[in-house]
Amino acid sequence: MRVVIAEDSVLLREGISRLLTDAGFEVVGSCADANDLLHRVRSYSPDVAIVDIRLPPTHSDEGIQAGLEIRAKHPSTGVLVLSQYVELGLALKLLADSAEGVGYLLKDRISEVDDFIGAVRRVADGGSAIDPIIISTLLSKRRADDPLDELTPREREVLVLMAEGRSNQGIADRLVITLRAVEKYVSSIFTKLGLPSTGTESRRVLAVLLYLRS
Amino acid sequence: MSAVAAPAPVRAPRVAVAPGTATLGALALLGAAVVSATVSFGLAAGEMSPAKLLTYQWMSAPYIAAGLVAWARRPESRLGPLMYIGGVVTSVAVFQAASPHLLSTVGSAVDILPAALFLHVFLAFPDGRLQSPFDRALVATTYVAALGLQLVRMSLDGFDNEFVFKTVPDAARVVLHVEFLSVSALLVIGVGVLALRRRRRPLRLFLGLVIDLFALGLLLAASLFTIALFEWPGLTLVQRTTWIVVGVAPLVFLLGLLDARLARSAVGDLFVQLGTDPAPGELRDALAHALHDRSLEIAFWLPEYGGWADVEGREVELPGQGEVRATTLIEREGMPVAALLHDPALLDEPALLASVRAAAAMSLENARLHSELRARLEEMRGSRARIVAAAQQERRRMERNLHDGAQQRLVALSLQLSLLERQLQGDPAAQEQVDDARREIAASLAELRDLARGLHPAAVSDHGLDIALEQVLARAPVPVTLSIETEGRLPEPVEVAAFYVVSESLANVGKYAQATSASVDVSRKDGRVVIEVTDDGCGGADEARGSGIRGLADRVEALGGHLRVWSPVGGGTRVQAEIPCEW
Repeated sequence: MRVVIAEDSVLLREGISRLLTDAGFEVVGSCADANDLLHRVRSYSPDVAIVDIRLPPTHSDEGIQAGLEIRAKHPSTGVLVLSQYVELGLALKLLADSAEGVGYLLKDRISEVDDFIGAVRRVADGGSAIDPIIISTLLSKRRADDPLDELTPREREVLVLMAEGRSNQGIADRLVITLRAVEKYVSSIFTKLGLPSTGTESRRVLAVLLYLRS
Repeated sequence: MSAVAAPAPVRAPRVAVAPGTATLGALALLGAAVVSATVSFGLAAGEMSPAKLLTYQWMSAPYIAAGLVAWARRPESRLGPLMYIGGVVTSVAVFQAASPHLLSTVGSAVDILPAALFLHVFLAFPDGRLQSPFDRALVATTYVAALGLQLVRMSLDGFDNEFVFKTVPDAARVVLHVEFLSVSALLVIGVGVLALRRRRRPLRLFLGLVIDLFALGLLLAASLFTIALFEWPGLTLVQRTTWIVVGVAPLVFLLGLLDARLARSAVGDLFVQLGTDPAPGELRDALAHALHDRSLEIAFWLPEYGGWADVEGREVELPGQGEVRATTLIEREGMPVAALLHDPALLDEPALLASVRAAAAMSLENARLHSELRARLEEMRGSRARIVAAAQQERRRMERNLHDGAQQRLVALSLQLSLLERQLQGDPAAQEQVDDARREIAASLAELRDLARGLHPAAVSDHGLDIALEQVLARAPVPVTLSIETEGRLPEPVEVAAFYVVSESLANVGKYAQATSASVDVSRKDGRVVIEVTDDGCGGADEARGSGIRGLADRVEALGGHLRVWSPVGGGTRVQAEIPCEW
């Protein structure tokens, strides 16, 4: 899998690059600003671009803008946005039409190496990786007559992992339960929330996020 | 406020003593005597028809009368004596037809002199003083031409008079040509000079009319001399017209004096209005009304700032010399209080200006204090805004430093530990220590993130108010509906203040309101951003709701805005912030 990294801290850029190389990724470019990133994406058509949200020159939203542009112009390249803080509003902006090939994680997650590599892989494959803080923020949202109250604690756990973008197998591995059990929980959740079962995992992510947002 | 030079002195009307009733009476008698003497002489001599004689005297009597009235009313102006003399001299000129040598000599000598006197009156109008050295030279030259050349001519002429020196008719003719042509030319020049100088019409109708009539009379006189010299046709018609027009001017002048009295009664109204202690803003309107000058502006002298300011304390510049606006300074106890910036035509009415000045001095002093207070307030508001902005700037800088420094390093450190961990396969003790260290780093990162967020809402600066509010609303203690109607980004300080208003107000909803829902509206209208947070809780919010509200008010007011809280008991709470936003 081919990956491009845009991160203006050299230490972190090198670290991520080494991590991914060790995990069998081919790092075809690593750079420090958005223009360079777009150039490399055009030249190498990587499977995934890992983008720091604050990039030069203003260190405000250059990373997000570059990420949205890549999603629009190079649909085959997934975008994983990394940030020191995650904002629900930004997650919703990134996922505006589709959760396909989109990731948004706190930088802290990088050091949970296996999980992080899993997330990069998912995004590269056209899946999603949404930070747990986003999901917990959405779950904390007050609603009148909240159907979430009807979920069992186990179902809530599954919902969170599902919303993060994990596959059923990923959820099963994480919770150390069988794939069949996960499938049962998932269909029970969809029934309780009144959501139609959808095909791909990234569609499932979007459906759940939009449900939680409303 | 930049330093402004101390106010330049503005001329005050001269103090002059009005002539006593006896003096005026004597002068009036003298005038009447001269006129009746010349009329009876003229009728007796039969040189002029009665109609012609009366038309001629039409020029003298009104000047004598207007001169006396002007003298009595405006003793500070030389115009009254000047007009009086003009009238008497005009009348005396009739004696030129007399047979006694002395009387006819005097009459002949002053025959052309009224033209010079009228030019003098015209150029010195309305305060009786000639404005410039050029005017003085022009008038002096006209006197020389009208009187001096007349005497020279008489000395060479064959006619019987006391001056005959040697009869040289040809030389006399030449002198006559020079005299008449030069007087005509000087009159035309005088009218032209004044027309150039008075490009703006005076404010009061009569003033303009008097000037126009004078100008017309002088032009007619100039043409009269020329026509008479070359014996062109139409002499009689031009002569009569000239006399009538020249005689009408002082009558209109008298009406003007009456009108000025009416204007001064407006000063009486002004006294009444000022008695009710008008608001500083209304003072200007009252003065503008009394002075008949809608363009009037008032500037107040603020000694502490060493400059001029308007009633709201905003700095203003006084117009310099020779600008379209004229300035009249108002002083109390030797200190400048205010300056009236007005139509220069008002300088034609020094008496009116002086009475308005006297009537308004006290109210203007009050308004000046108001202006000073506003200037101080403005200054304080400015420094508060600067303090808030500086604090904001500093917090933002610290947030950025944390982000680029400690947070970034800790993330990198944590990553390095993880890479190291992979090389430790098979050493459970070391593995555990690395895990502990990584957990510590994760906890530190979480703390730093909270600290950074507390310092400055980076999401607002980086991504905008709407993006940043999503999270605040999701974390709100009650369901919140959000409506943001602003096009594009607002200026950062406004967005940050709005963010704090919303997040602080929603936090208060959770702490005190016992509400079931809330709404947040951000809209933009008439150059302001309005932020409203409403809940359906128990209301009754008071100051005890904490320094939070006070802090919000400080933030909003520092940007020139207002924060209001409505919280009737049992009726929910509404927090509304309005921030000016012209961008």
